[in-house]
Amino acid sequence: MAALVAVAFAPFLALQPNRIVSGEGFTLPGLPAAWLGLPLATLLAACAVAAAFAHHAALQALAGAAGALAALLGAGLAATALLPAGATLARVSLGSGFWLVTGAFGLILADALVKLRGGPLVRIVLAFAAVGAVLAVLAAGLWDDLSIMREYAANRDSFWQQGARHLVLVGGSLAPALLLGIPLGYLCHRHAAARGAVLAVLSVVQTVPSIAMFGLMMAPLAALAAAYPALGAAGIRGIGLTPALLALFLYSLLPVVANTVAGFAAVPPAVVEAARGMGMGSLRRLAGVEWPLAFPVIVTGVRIVLVQNIGLAAVAALIGAGGFGTFVFRGMGQTAMDLVLLGAVPIVILAFFAAVVLDAIAGRAQGRPA
Amino acid sequence: MKKTVLAAIAAIAMATGAARADVVVASKIDTEGSLLGAMIRLVLQDNGIPVVDRVSLGATPVVRAAIRAGEIDIYPEYTGNAGFFYNMADNDVWKDAAKGYAEAKKRDYDAEKIVWLTPAPANNTWAIAVRGDVATAEKLATMSDFGAYVAKGGTVKLAASAEFVNSAAALPAFQKAYGFTLKADQLLTLAGGDTAATIKAAAEETDGTNAAMVYGTDGAIAEVGLIVMTDDKGVQPVYQPAPIIREAVLKQYPQIEELLEPVFSSLDLQTLQKLNGRIAVGGENAGAVAKDYLTSKGLLK
Repeated sequence: MAALVAVAFAPFLALQPNRIVSGEGFTLPGLPAAWLGLPLATLLAACAVAAAFAHHAALQALAGAAGALAALLGAGLAATALLPAGATLARVSLGSGFWLVTGAFGLILADALVKLRGGPLVRIVLAFAAVGAVLAVLAAGLWDDLSIMREYAANRDSFWQQGARHLVLVGGSLAPALLLGIPLGYLCHRHAAARGAVLAVLSVVQTVPSIAMFGLMMAPLAALAAAYPALGAAGIRGIGLTPALLALFLYSLLPVVANTVAGFAAVPPAVVEAARGMGMGSLRRLAGVEWPLAFPVIVTGVRIVLVQNIGLAAVAALIGAGGFGTFVFRGMGQTAMDLVLLGAVPIVILAFFAAVVLDAIAGRAQGRPA
Repeated sequence: MKKTVLAAIAAIAMATGAARADVVVASKIDTEGSLLGAMIRLVLQDNGIPVVDRVSLGATPVVRAAIRAGEIDIYPEYTGNAGFFYNMADNDVWKDAAKGYAEAKKRDYDAEKIVWLTPAPANNTWAIAVRGDVATAEKLATMSDFGAYVAKGGTVKLAASAEFVNSAAALPAFQKAYGFTLKADQLLTLAGGDTAATIKAAAEETDGTNAAMVYGTDGAIAEVGLIVMTDDKGVQPVYQPAPIIREAVLKQYPQIEELLEPVFSSLDLQTLQKLNGRIAVGGENAGAVAKDYLTSKGLLK
């Protein structure tokens, strides 16, 4: 229903005379190119109605997917039609209508998939298919007239470099967090005194605002690099990658440790007793019984950290660490919202992907019936 | 134990480190910084100097801290900013272009062994720009005209940052010199120092805004039809962009000074406005605009 309202009344695209001033909104039915706008609006409305009245979940999923794809394709085609010929400065950006329509169809699709009860593998395949469809639309050049792709064209090399840097920021903080956090979590599980202290300290660390944390990391690292020039030569500096990694690592510890503790605590004591009764030593018990049972909860912790770090790494751009946040802050500085989107949308897609993949892993680890 | 830990940290950091013989070229994260940083990088690379690109690094505090710590080697800075670095912002020496440059050069060399190279003849200082239609109708061209217009009760609403409104060196100084006072309802105070936001507000007449705080070389000014009111009484400090470089690196590559001199000398106010406009309004890539300009001037081989 929301999709229908959005199609009818919310502006689908906005035409800006240049990159920095606000644009004039156009609804789909209201597009000057009526040969495109009206059929597209009708198609989207039909998909929405089909999804609402479909009895079988598969039909609903199909309607949702069709609607989302139509919105994607339609946005690109409508942008090309809307742009005045020869206007090099004018920009077409995506309006609230587009986001509402795509969001609504996405929800319909997700809801239908849950009803279909596909396994974790199916979910991963569908996630790949969804991102693949988006990438195919972009690669085909259908979106080239939209402002966000214009920004991409102007920043192509930098985009992939910063993307790689973003992944380094996320992975480089997650790995040490897991290496330290999981053993630490097990330690806290075994010793109640440690648990109280460690979790309290980590909770305090978690509450420090991210920009402050990144800033706080700069001064001690700069002093360290000044005191030990060898470190500075090796690349440990007060700005850039090192303070960002350190800050992200600190933020990652609490979810990992807390979920590890919870995971081990959730192992039924009767099972542990049975294993001991069977003659298993403590190491075998840990590896063979406790760890597999705690694993799903720990993986949930990893998912939380991964999604959190993907988003938080955007702030790292403020201290010169790069990543997609560079586009966000540059866009804010130039009030070019589509440059902000160029940084924000990949972050959202990465986070969505990470969540789906890790949920699937956790789902598999939860165990198929024996 | 300590050695193992340090070795481990160094090993991890090796992957992220950079070779120190290269010149690390940085800049601030704003439009003009990206443009000037790209120009420096292109000229150095074109002349066989190995360069590490850290352009668009961060805000002034980040970049300034980085050069003082030796983490970056060269970046474009403004002469007037030296007043803030050395806690003498109120001093009148900054109002004179030549004297301000000489003062900045002397202080930074004595304190930090940072050398200021040839500046550009453009003044990127705070100014007030008025909507074209208002300026034409009321015949406003200078700050004196603007002051008189406001004083006699003309309709005005100025979009500015909180810092501009409150800093004694900014709006209060203008008001004192040109004899006008803006009341609270004649001000639209924005949180950040972003002139893109103030220019946008004046262009769209948000809340009745018809004047905006701008920087002299902002690209969007001409594009959206605003007219800068010239500071005919010289109230504001002069902010000339100049490349500043660590002396150790300059000694290693002394040719950098001669290479950058023709580049910066050619950048006057109108040129910088035009180039900034291509980046901010046209959405072009800063590096591409820099390359295009340098090639057209024959400064790149």
